[in-house]
Amino acid sequence: MATMAAPQRIPTVDDLRVKMCYICREEERYDNPEDPPRAWTHPCSCTLVAHESCLLQWIKAAQQDPAKVDNALKCPQCGATYELESDNPRILRALNAINSVLSAAGKAATVVGVVSLATSFGFTIYVVATSYGAFAVKEFLGEEMYNLLLTDDPNNWPWHAFIHLPIIPFSLVLSRTRLFDTFPIVPLFLTWSSSPPVRVPPSPSGASTSSLSSIWTWPRGTPVPYTPPISWPPTPLMAMILLPFVRTAYRHLFDKLTKYVMGTLPESRGAAGPIRRVIWALNDDGPGPLRVRIGANIQDANAQGAGAGAPAGGQANADANADNRGNEQDENVAAVAERTLRVTTSSLGRFIGGALLIPTISARMGTLLFRLSKHFSWLRAFLAIRDHPAPIPTAIRLYNGPPGSNVGLVKQIGSGLVAGLHIMTGGTPTWNAADPVWWRNAVGLGLFVFAKDCVSLLHLYLTKRELESRRVKSRSFAGVDIRELDLIDRPVHPETTGAGADA
Amino acid sequence: MSVSTRRLQKELTDIKRDGTPVGIELLSAEDFATWYLSVEVLGNTVYEGEKFALKFRFDNQYPISAPAVQFVVDDHYTAPVHPHVYSNGHICASILGSEWSPVLSVVSVCVTIQSMLASCKKKERPPDNDRYVSHAPENPKKTRWDFHDDK
Repeated sequence: MATMAAPQRIPTVDDLRVKMCYICREEERYDNPEDPPRAWTHPCSCTLVAHESCLLQWIKAAQQDPAKVDNALKCPQCGATYELESDNPRILRALNAINSVLSAAGKAATVVGVVSLATSFGFTIYVVATSYGAFAVKEFLGEEMYNLLLTDDPNNWPWHAFIHLPIIPFSLVLSRTRLFDTFPIVPLFLTWSSSPPVRVPPSPSGASTSSLSSIWTWPRGTPVPYTPPISWPPTPLMAMILLPFVRTAYRHLFDKLTKYVMGTLPESRGAAGPIRRVIWALNDDGPGPLRVRIGANIQDANAQGAGAGAPAGGQANADANADNRGNEQDENVAAVAERTLRVTTSSLGRFIGGALLIPTISARMGTLLFRLSKHFSWLRAFLAIRDHPAPIPTAIRLYNGPPGSNVGLVKQIGSGLVAGLHIMTGGTPTWNAADPVWWRNAVGLGLFVFAKDCVSLLHLYLTKRELESRRVKSRSFAGVDIRELDLIDRPVHPETTGAGADA
Repeated sequence: MSVSTRRLQKELTDIKRDGTPVGIELLSAEDFATWYLSVEVLGNTVYEGEKFALKFRFDNQYPISAPAVQFVVDDHYTAPVHPHVYSNGHICASILGSEWSPVLSVVSVCVTIQSMLASCKKKERPPDNDRYVSHAPENPKKTRWDFHDDK
């Protein structure tokens, strides 16, 4: 009876005498198991079997290629659909959905952008860019400073505004590229930190003083303050000088966090940096949506690959993968290029649209911080929010000091330097007296960037976990002619066994 | 040893042990990056008496990624005149692109191309041959094929 029970059970992949992976073509005999063992799976309705790891690798690679995605979960021989099981938490699905929406928005932004560019050549571009620049200044510096420094009426604008304002949108976009690794608010500060107000509130003494030279004028008889005041919040100029350091430190720390969360991440940020990051992101990337986000980076990598010629590009890929990806599948340049073409409209729109939203995001975050500060006194102190609005100094002179025509050249230069130091550390009276909207906006933007990075990292992590937790459901050989299979406990005569059961 | 090398090693062993199907010969397999095989269409076809050579290039992701396959065009060989074969040797065949599967092998690709030639009734180049050849990348895998669905 024992010998009869075996053939009645439907055999599975574990009952095969010799298993051959249809992907890597390696064989394993039942009496000579591999060490360490690798999981085998029979995922379809025919006789093909595979290592689970090989099959998952194939599925992952095929799902990343838009041309192959339809066949990724199909048996090439019998056409049966593979069943995947994985941890796909609700939050990952939500993040994927959000990402899809953003991609669609990015696509729309590209279309709108191209249309507006096409319809507004030359002067119109200048006007649009300038208007945007003014809008950005207003958003970022707040209504009060905007009305002091710029106002809605271009007649009041200082001459340099007509150069700097139209540059703002472009520098915002450039600041997002790896080329210009600067924090996006730098262009907003560059111009205005030492700028005198254009429109002085009505006052007895404030007249005809908005010329550049007036900044450096000391009223006679007043002492030059030789110790630069250290003020809180930091002056815009100080913030601008310190920002690259803060940013570098932040990137460094966040990279460490990413490395910790994801397990591996290349540490070097040298020339190979961007490419490696892209490859890494691609390899850990899920089937669809996330790849759009990294599309912009792929273009960089591609451009470099194209510049060095195709073999060099392939070599870069291989090098990038060699150390920490091991045998993980590489993306060949062609496949990457194909994908890049497909995501360009979306990623471009997200890239530029995201850059141009920075001032608005800063303003919203700043407002949020302002509201929060009503409940926390320490936040109020940190953001330097004034309880009672101070009167804005009516004169635009920065510091009171004595460089008159009667002092020597050396002394004039000396006091000039001191004044410059003052502006850097102590700011201008105008900026000091005004509500530091820019400060809470900058802090808000920083928090926003941090939050966004965290969400991206969470998305990446969940996607990676989903991929790692994937299992291909293994099926029995039900429906397959058992005589075609080389089983360990092979029924000697399946026909006679059936006859024996009848008897 | 990488997965691709091991897999190609096995394919090579199989070819040397079992031989290749009729009309297909291994010309050279000196390394695990580039192989050459010859293809002849036997019987009464438009390519009677012609012999073509196929060049296979493998990356280290083979068989997850498809090999780059093209006809050799040099002093000895030309590309067959076929509606899916460009004069530079590039082949527009779905199994080399979207229909590639790791279950396929060097020999099975050769057999598929052999039967593609065998079923051809009229020798003609693809309609966009000149335009494609003048702009084609060196590696056919970099072309985004629009597979003709007429077969």
